[in-house]
Amino acid sequence: MAGVTHALNAVADGLRLPPEFSPSSRTPLLAVMEPGEATPEVKAAFDEIMTFYAMDRPPAVFRWMARDPGFFQDYWAATREAFRDRKLDRKMKEVLAFAASLTAKSDYGVDFHYREARRLGVSEQGMTEAIEVAQCFNTVTKIADALQLQPDFDPRPGTR
Amino acid sequence: MEIVRVPEVHEFPPEDQKFLEAGKAWFKIDFVPKMGRVLRVVPDFGRTYGRASRRAMSDGALSRAQKELIAATVSAINVCEY
Repeated sequence: MAGVTHALNAVADGLRLPPEFSPSSRTPLLAVMEPGEATPEVKAAFDEIMTFYAMDRPPAVFRWMARDPGFFQDYWAATREAFRDRKLDRKMKEVLAFAASLTAKSDYGVDFHYREARRLGVSEQGMTEAIEVAQCFNTVTKIADALQLQPDFDPRPGTR
Repeated sequence: MEIVRVPEVHEFPPEDQKFLEAGKAWFKIDFVPKMGRVLRVVPDFGRTYGRASRRAMSDGALSRAQKELIAATVSAINVCEY
């Protein structure tokens, strides 16, 4: 989930795709597919994506990907699998994707996953707490790296 | 290797030793993590940061377990081995 989120954010922000739900003056560097241009197979995936995210248009990052239908269909299937309810539910995964986006300073991802987490039922207080945790761990990870702290835990036998 | 010396627990004032020792129960471990000790090297930073962090990680609208998952995600995105 974190890997997929990070990659989608990198493409979306790198191509300057406007956030889906917040005002933005961004102009995409490259053209994204309009739903009317989609082949039947791509349209079917677009429809599934819109249902999955409860949106009236496919997110721009997927419309970019749809320029290569084979890659798009497989990457979307992988994304859906990464985010579906399993041992962690989708709501929690959206909170984690939000934290990953916040940490990576992704305008596109923060906007997208904040909305998704809230839509799926995370309260404002829950999002506030998620931001506090992300803030605290951005503090300590930076300190740990700067001081080159070696891990307290090492799963390899005989290393503790 | 660390670029600073990480103090041992007994080198801190009693107030800080008490907090650091309490961390063992909080994390259910038998040692005091290096990060807690490093942060307390500057006491007025470590004490206030420690309280804020403990508050942030406590059960609330999100559970502590969920918050640990968020912390792990942040660490992964930052590629922080510690």
